[in-house]
Amino acid sequence: MTIEVLDPTYDGDTISFKYAVGLENLKGATVGIISNGKKGTFHFFNALEDLLTKKYKAGEVIRVIKKNYSVPAEEEIMKEVKKWDAAIAGVGD
Amino acid sequence: MPVSKSYNLDNYAAVQEFFHSHNWTDGLPVVPPTPEAVKDLLELSKISPEHLIGIEPVRSRAITAEKLAINAVMAGCLPEHFPLVCESFSAMLKEPFLLHGATASTGGCAVLVIINGPVRKLLGMNGTFNALGSSDRATTVIGRAIRLILCNLLDARPGDADRSTLGHPGKFSFCIAEDEENTNWLPLAEERDIPHGVSAVTVMAAGSPRQIMNEWTTSPEEILDTFVAEIKSCMRHYSIWHGNYAIVIPPQLRVHFEESRWSKRNIRRYVFEHARIKRKEWSDCGKTAVVGNKGEKEYTALTDENHLLVVAAGGPAGGFGAVIPPWFGTKSKAVTQPLGLCLDCGPE
Repeated sequence: MTIEVLDPTYDGDTISFKYAVGLENLKGATVGIISNGKKGTFHFFNALEDLLTKKYKAGEVIRVIKKNYSVPAEEEIMKEVKKWDAAIAGVGD
Repeated sequence: MPVSKSYNLDNYAAVQEFFHSHNWTDGLPVVPPTPEAVKDLLELSKISPEHLIGIEPVRSRAITAEKLAINAVMAGCLPEHFPLVCESFSAMLKEPFLLHGATASTGGCAVLVIINGPVRKLLGMNGTFNALGSSDRATTVIGRAIRLILCNLLDARPGDADRSTLGHPGKFSFCIAEDEENTNWLPLAEERDIPHGVSAVTVMAAGSPRQIMNEWTTSPEEILDTFVAEIKSCMRHYSIWHGNYAIVIPPQLRVHFEESRWSKRNIRRYVFEHARIKRKEWSDCGKTAVVGNKGEKEYTALTDENHLLVVAAGGPAGGFGAVIPPWFGTKSKAVTQPLGLCLDCGPE
């Protein structure tokens, strides 16, 4: 006799997400970096900005910092993101 | 009837391997969540499978009663434990708790659940011996259910959404019942505006407990100085930021407060006034680099004496106590809620 068991995981997402179409290259592009504001991210993003402008010839690199690193980016930041060609966000510590 | 997807497996051992292989457990065996067992939990609480417990605000995930029930069965909960699981999770979903931050942080806290009121006795909870360990069945399985729910509904598995550097053993289960019978102090929930005789849960994003000992005085001030020393140590070694601290006081120390007519309020006041350090003290523990020019600035463990949660719990012998520090300052605030589901938990 078999045992029937129920799935304990979340299964309510009805919207499927897909990646945005990538850029061919970053030449002249506006790239935004969203920092969580932790001290350790500053050196890393400085280096990244250098790389983006010098090696990949990005047109402009915009840096924004979340007010609270434990919550999602604020509405104002999300409005800004729509003006960028590419955004870089991630967990930094 | 349950609406979740189901699987037919050959036997008990196959169930265990299936759940482990899908990373749906905390590493321990689980009780198979059969449709009948899940239905029993929901029926006793008279809630439908689709009943909305709340919405996780960061990921907009709707948390339904059935999913909580499945995980509660897996943790070993009986139907009568389920209302406390629902209420605890509902409290965790309140905005001040900041559930996503608390469970995703490298800081590695666990969710501490503190139970007050008549429901403790109805469910055989024990706030005495081994209060912070696996003191009894009910608190153990309720605490475990909370962790399994976080893992399975919010992906708070190690290395997934849970980015804890270390975590702590409370992540398996961290639920205690206050020892209301052996004290004349007000229960924690009542101090936090829950009416007398009403069962309630308090949830706190909590670091690991730090045990203190002082068997060599009967002075309330001196006993509290030991607790305060540990809080100040947390501020020096871990985080200087103020937040909800909990202190757990067992009977051997409680008796000295009670004989001196010290209430929880007196305790909170004393700790509020004394748990303070200057930023320059970071230099004593290797953190000179971040003292800067604010060395003389004073930091308090509590910005309000009500931020201290004083809990009567622990076995009868031993001059021990515990300080449970907050995850990280006031980013997450403790939340207290009355038990709103249909257990017979009115005043005795």
